[in-house]
Amino acid sequence: MIRPQPPEDRGPGAPRDVEVRVLAVPEALVTVRTVAGDLALRAEFPLDTVDDLRLAVDEACTCLAELARPGTKLTGTFAVDDERISMTASVSTTGPTRLPTDTFAWRVLTVLADDVRVLAEAPTAPGEAHRLALRMTVRRPDTSRPGDGPRARAGGRDAPGRDAAVTSMHDRPGTSGS
Amino acid sequence: MTSPHAAADTGPHAGSPSTASASRRPPSPDPTDVSSIDTMTETVTTTDVAQDGQQDGQQDRRERTASARTGRRSSSRGEYDHLMPKLAEHASLEPGTPERQRLRDELVRGHLPVAQHIARRFARRGEPEEDLEQVATLGLINAVDRYDPARGTDFLSYAVPTITGEVRRHFRDQAWSMRVPRRLKDLNVTLSSAMSQMSQSLGRAPNAAELAEHLGIAKEEVLEALEASNAYRSGSLDEMLVDDPDSGTVSDLLGEADAALEQVEYQQSLAPLLEKLPQRERTIIMLRFFKNMTQSQIAERVGISQMHVSRLLAKTLVQLRDGLGDAR
Repeated sequence: MIRPQPPEDRGPGAPRDVEVRVLAVPEALVTVRTVAGDLALRAEFPLDTVDDLRLAVDEACTCLAELARPGTKLTGTFAVDDERISMTASVSTTGPTRLPTDTFAWRVLTVLADDVRVLAEAPTAPGEAHRLALRMTVRRPDTSRPGDGPRARAGGRDAPGRDAAVTSMHDRPGTSGS
Repeated sequence: MTSPHAAADTGPHAGSPSTASASRRPPSPDPTDVSSIDTMTETVTTTDVAQDGQQDGQQDRRERTASARTGRRSSSRGEYDHLMPKLAEHASLEPGTPERQRLRDELVRGHLPVAQHIARRFARRGEPEEDLEQVATLGLINAVDRYDPARGTDFLSYAVPTITGEVRRHFRDQAWSMRVPRRLKDLNVTLSSAMSQMSQSLGRAPNAAELAEHLGIAKEEVLEALEASNAYRSGSLDEMLVDDPDSGTVSDLLGEADAALEQVEYQQSLAPLLEKLPQRERTIIMLRFFKNMTQSQIAERVGISQMHVSRLLAKTLVQLRDGLGDAR
C-alpha cells in the first residue's frame, strides 16, 4: 500500500510523496497519523515537531471525516522535503461545505501547523461529488539555535477571517483540470 | 524499512474499530489500573509475606528449610532468621569483594520466596507473571544491596516495600496497550531518558538521527522504538502525574490568552470541558494552544518529559473533541 522509496534512491532534496487512503471514519485515521509520524521521523524532524504533526494530522482528518459522505474514503497526500512536511487531506462531501474557523479544532490546527488552508471543489461533471480538503504544512524548525524559536509563534495567524480561505484544489491527485 | 513493524503496530488499531473506539471513550475502570494496585499493595504485610514465604520454601527450598529447622517455628519470620547474621556481614563488607558477592547471591536466593509472593499478588493484571517475578527479584536485589542493619529495622520490613515499589513502578512504566517486544520496551526507557538529557543539552528536542548517534544505535532502531512507544497505554500515565497545586489554574493562564480564547467556542462549550479536566491536562492544553508554548517548553515548565506532554495532549484532545461533539 504505502511504500515510500528509501531516501538514498533519490536525489538530494527530492520531494518524498506518499498517498494514503482510508475509510473516512475516526477509527481508520490512526493509519494516516502513523504514516505522518513515520515520514517526519525519517526526515529527521525534531521529536516534538513530529508529535505536533501527528496531533495536527489527527485533528485535520477528524474534522474532514465528520463532513465526509458516509462510506467514502479520505485521501491523505504527504510531501516531504528538506524544509517542510505537508499533508493535503480530502474527502467527498454531500454538498458545498465550509469548515468553520471559530472552533477549538481550528485553533488546535492553526497552532500546531505553520500553515493551514481549506480547499473546496465543486463537481465539474454531473455525478461527481463536492470535495473538501485541508492542506497543512509543518516547517522544520531552525535547529541551529536553541529553543524552538520559529515554532513559538502566534497561533491562528494563518486564519484568514471567520471562514477559511477557499481555493480550488488544482493539485488534488486524480483531479483533471478543475 | 520498518513497514512490517509499522503494520504490526497500526494493525490492531486500524483493523479493529473496537480498539480505536475504546480509546475515544472516557476512561473506564480498568482491571490493570495502577490506582487499584496502590490500594491493594497495602494489604501485603510483612508478616503474611513471611508466612507464605515459608510455605513456598517448603516446596522449593527444602534444603534451606531443613537447616532453619532449629526450633523457632513459633515465630512467623523464623524462616529467614538464619539469614540475619549474613545480612549484617554482607553490609559490613566492602562492595565488590568476592566474599560480599557470594553472600549477596545467597541472601537473594534465600529471600526469593518473598519476591515471588509479591509478584503473585500482582499477577493477572495484564503483565506476564515471569516478568513480574523478575521485577520483584530486582527489587529484592536492591533491598539486599541497600539494607543497612545499623538502622534498626529488620530486613523484611525494609525489603517488602522496596520490592512492592519496584513492581508498582514496573506497572507504571511498562503498561502497554498492545504486545510490544521486550527489546523495544527496554529501548524505549533508554530513549526517553536520552531525550530529556539531549533536550537539556541542545535546548530543543532532538531528532531521530541525533538520538541514534547519541545512543550509538541504528536510526532504524530508534524509529522502531518510537513507533512502539505509541502503543503505550496512556491511561496509566495519569498515575504518574500527581496534581500539582503550583501548576497553575485556568484563570492564572488567562490574561494574554483571553483574546485567543474569545475566538473559539470557548464560553459555551469549551470552558465546561476544560473545567472537568485534571489540572495538569488543563494546564498543558492551555499552554500549548492558548499560550503557544512548545511541547518541550511545557515539559520543562510542568516538570514531565516531552513524551508525556505529547501523550497527554493526544489523549486530552480526543476527550475534548468527543465532549465538543456531544455538545453540538
